[in-house]
Amino acid sequence: MFRQLRARFGGPLAAAILALLGIWLIVMVTLPQLQMIEYSLRPNLLPAQLGGPDDRLTLANYATLFNNEIHRAIFFKTLWSSVLVTLLTLGVSYPLAWYLAKVATPRQAALCLLLLIIPFWINEILRTYSWFIILAFRGPLNEVLMMLGLIDRPIRFLSGDGGVMVGMVYAYILFMVFPVYNAIESLDDNQVRAARDLGAGTIRTHRRIVIPHAKPGIATGCIMTFMLAAGSYAVPALLGSPGSRWFTQIIYNWFFEGGNWNQGAAYAFLLLVLCIGFMSLVMRVFKVGLGDIAK
Amino acid sequence: MDGSVRLEELVMRFGDFTAIERTSLTIESGEFFSFLGPSGCGKTTLLNLISGFLTPSEGQVFIGGEPMAGVPVNRRPTAMIFQNLALFPLMSVFDNIEFGLEVRGVDRKTRRATAEHLLALVALEGVGERRVTELSGGQRQRVAIARALAVEPRVLLLDEPLSALDLKLRQHMRSELKAIQRKTGITFIYITHDQGEALTMSDRVAVMSAGRIQQVADPMTLYRRPATGFVAAFVGENNRIEAKVIERLGERVRLDAGALGELEGHVGKEAGLGGGALVSLYVRPEQLRPVSAGASGPTLAGRVEAVHFEGAALMVQVGLDGSGERLRVQLGSEVSRTFADGLAPGVSLTLGYDPAETVVLPRDDGSLVDAATGEVVAAEGGSHV
Amino acid sequence: MSSQRLMAFGLRFYVVVFFGYLFLPLAIMAAATFNDSRFPTVTPWDGTTLRWFGELWADGGMWQALTNSLIVAVGVLVVAVPIGIATALFLNTVSSRAKPFLYALILSPLLTPGVIIGISTLIFWRQWGVSGGIFLTVLGQATFIAAYVMLMVTARLQRFDRTMERAALDLGASQWQMFRRILLPFLKPAILSAAVIAFLQSFENYNTTLFVVGYDTTLTVYIASKVRTGLTPAVNALGLILILVTVLLAIAYEVKRRREAARQDVQA
Repeated sequence: MFRQLRARFGGPLAAAILALLGIWLIVMVTLPQLQMIEYSLRPNLLPAQLGGPDDRLTLANYATLFNNEIHRAIFFKTLWSSVLVTLLTLGVSYPLAWYLAKVATPRQAALCLLLLIIPFWINEILRTYSWFIILAFRGPLNEVLMMLGLIDRPIRFLSGDGGVMVGMVYAYILFMVFPVYNAIESLDDNQVRAARDLGAGTIRTHRRIVIPHAKPGIATGCIMTFMLAAGSYAVPALLGSPGSRWFTQIIYNWFFEGGNWNQGAAYAFLLLVLCIGFMSLVMRVFKVGLGDIAK
Repeated sequence: MDGSVRLEELVMRFGDFTAIERTSLTIESGEFFSFLGPSGCGKTTLLNLISGFLTPSEGQVFIGGEPMAGVPVNRRPTAMIFQNLALFPLMSVFDNIEFGLEVRGVDRKTRRATAEHLLALVALEGVGERRVTELSGGQRQRVAIARALAVEPRVLLLDEPLSALDLKLRQHMRSELKAIQRKTGITFIYITHDQGEALTMSDRVAVMSAGRIQQVADPMTLYRRPATGFVAAFVGENNRIEAKVIERLGERVRLDAGALGELEGHVGKEAGLGGGALVSLYVRPEQLRPVSAGASGPTLAGRVEAVHFEGAALMVQVGLDGSGERLRVQLGSEVSRTFADGLAPGVSLTLGYDPAETVVLPRDDGSLVDAATGEVVAAEGGSHV
Repeated sequence: MSSQRLMAFGLRFYVVVFFGYLFLPLAIMAAATFNDSRFPTVTPWDGTTLRWFGELWADGGMWQALTNSLIVAVGVLVVAVPIGIATALFLNTVSSRAKPFLYALILSPLLTPGVIIGISTLIFWRQWGVSGGIFLTVLGQATFIAAYVMLMVTARLQRFDRTMERAALDLGASQWQMFRRILLPFLKPAILSAAVIAFLQSFENYNTTLFVVGYDTTLTVYIASKVRTGLTPAVNALGLILILVTVLLAIAYEVKRRREAARQDVQA
C-alpha cells in the first residue's frame, strides 16, 4: 500500500496520507469501539476494587437487559418503532422521489431539490422543536382540530410514541428522498415507456421496473433512516414523555444519571448490533453491497 | 547536445504477457523517428520505457549515451506530448508552458520570455493569457508542443498527438511538426498507427507488430522493399500471390504461380531463397497496369469484377483466370482516361507489372500476424490481402 | 378524466402537500417568535413583539454556547478535512486485497449511530484522563464527518484525468509539486464544498455531542436544554436567526455549485 502511494505522491506525502488514515481508523474509529466492547464486559467497580477478584470479564451487563422487563420492552419498542418510521418514511418519500426523477420538468425538479435541501441544512433540533410547538397541548394542531369540530378537547400528542414517530419521519425524510431519487433518476425513461406500452399499469410498472431498479437507493435510504431513528436522542427527548422513552435515553441515563458506564457501554453495543443486524438484513433482502450504499 | 536514444536488449513483461520482445535499436540525435504499428503492438509501452513511466524487465535505455536506469521520469531529458495533450485545464496558456520551468525554479521573467519565444515558434502569439479551455483543437496542439519544448528536452516523445484532430488540420499539423523539428534539431520520437503520418514526417520508421520490431528503414525503402510479410501488408496496399521459386537470377526470381502461370519478382540480396522455396509475391495495386495480351514480361489475365472511382485514381477489382483470386489494381488518371470506357465488370483484362517493383518473401513469414489488426493468427496460406 | 390523468393530478397534489408539510412547521416556529406570549406558540396570538430578540441578545449562556460551537466546528474542519482528503487519495491510489475490508471500516462511521460514536470516544479517552469537553467533541464529530469529506473528495477525484499527473512529472515536477500545483487545485472545489458541509454538520450535531461535550455547551445542546427547561420564545428567535443564516448559506452554496456545474458543461 505504501509502495503504491509513494509511487504516486512521493515518500513524505505518502507517509502523511497513511498517518492520517491510520490515526482516523485506529485511534478514532476502531480502538474506541473495541474499548467500548471491553468496557461492556466488565463490572462497574469502585476504583479500589480495580484489579481485585471482582475485576473480570462477565456478561452480567448484557444479562441486565434480559432481566429488566422495562428496558427490554423499550429495546423492542425502539426496534419496532424504528422499523415503522423507516417504512413510513419510505412510503412518504417514494412518490416524491418518483415525481422529481421522472415526472417533473427539469426546472420544476431543480426548484424542488433546492426547496428540499433547505430544511436539510437546518438543525435537527430546530426541526424537531418546530413539531414540539405544533403538537403542544395548546398548540396550533389542537386548535385547528377543535375549530373544525373534529375533537372536543385537546389531545396530548406529546405523551405517546406517535409524536416521536411523526417528528422522526419529518427529521429523517431527506435521508430517504435523496438516495431513492438518485436511484430512480438513473433509470432509462424508455424502460418505463416500454412497460407502459406493453400494457403494464402504474402499480405493475413500479413493482416490476422502477422499484427493482431503485433497490440500491431504497436500501441506502432504509439503512440510514433506521440507523438515525434507532440512534436518535434528540427527537424522543423533545417530543416524547417519561412514559415513552427511547433506548438511547436509557443508555444516556446509565452514563450520566446512573453513573454506570459499563452498563451503558453494553446497552450501546446492543444498539450498534441492532443497527448492523438491520443493515445486513436489508443488504441481503435487496441484494446490494456496501459499494452501492456509499454512492 | 546529444539526443540519441539507444535501446539495448530491452524486454518488457507484464506478468505472463510479453509486451516488448528483446529489442535493440539506435535512434540518432536530431532524427525524426516513428514507431508505426496497430494498436496493442507495444509502441506505447516502448515510449513509456523511454520516458521513464515504465521500468524495463530486462535491458536498458540510453539517452545521449547515458544509461537511464534509476533515472525517474522527472529527471530524464525527455518531454512527452500526450495523446489527449494533458494540458492543465485550470491554468492559462502561459502557466502551462512555464510549468516545467517553474518547477525547476526559473525566475518569472525568464520564464515569460521563454514562453513568448515558444509561442512565436508555434505561431500562437498573443494567446498567453487565455485559459487553455478557450482554445481550438489545433491551438491546444501547439500549446502542448510549446509546453514540451520549454523544458529544452533532448528528445521529444509524441504519443499519437494528432489523432484527435480532424483530417484537414491533421495534414496541416504534419508539416508544422516536421518544420518545428527541423528548426529545433531535437530528436522526435513519434508513435502512430497512421502510416500516412509516419511516412510523410519521418526520417526513419520502425514498424512494430506483437511486441517485435519488424523493420527499421526510411519511408521509401519501407514502402518499396518491405522486409516481412507484415510490413508488406500493413504499409500501403498490396496484392499477395502465392508461388514457388523456379530459379533465382541475382535479385530476380522466376516463380511458378500454379494456374496463374509463370511470374517474376524481386528479392533482396540477403534473402536465401533457392529453387523450390514457397514464397509470396507482393505487387502493389499501382504497379499493375493493363497491357496487350502478347506483351513481354510477366502478365496476369483476369476479368473485371468491380470498378470504384476514388477521385485521383480508379480502383479496379480483377478476378484472376484460373485461381479466381482477386487483385486490386489502381489506375492513375492517365491510364484510366484511355481505359475508363472499357472497364465495365465482365471485361477481360491482361495486367503487367515491373518485377523490380515487387517483393518476394518466404511464405510463412507474415501470415502469422493479421496485418489489419496486428493480432497473431494461425499460419494459413492461400488468402491474400 | 382518465385514470392516468387522475394519477398525475394526484401526484402533483401530493407534492404540494409534501412541501407544505416540510415548511409549515418551520413557518409556525418562526411566527411564534413574534407572538407576545410567555410560551412559544401561535395560538392564541397575544400581540406582535420583537422583545424575544432582545432577550436572546442579553442571554450570556447563548453567546457562550455559540462561541463553543464555532470553536468546535473550526476544530472539526482542521481534523476532518485533511483526514477525508487523505482517505480519498488512499482509496483512489491503492489496490490491495485488504481494500474491501478497509473500505467497510472507512464507511462504518457513517452507518454507526451518532450516540455510539460519542460513547466510544468518551470511554476511550477516559483512560488517558481526558473527560468530556470541547476537545472530545471535536474528535467525536470529526470521526464521522471525515467520512463525508472523503465521499465528496472521492467523487471529484474519480473525474481526474491521471494523464495530467504524468504530464506534470514528465515536465520535471516532483511528486509534491504535482500534488501542490495540479491535483490540489483540481480538488479545490470539492474540498471547499466538503468544508462547508463539515462545518454545518458539526454546528448542528446533537447526538454525538451530547455524550462528549461534558460541562461545556454547544448551541444545539443549549437549545435542546432550553426546550426542556426554561422554554421561552427566545429559543424561537434563535431558531429563526439560524434558519435564515442557513437558508442564505444553502442558497449561496447551491447557486455557486450550479454556476460551476454550468461552466464545466460549457467547457466539456
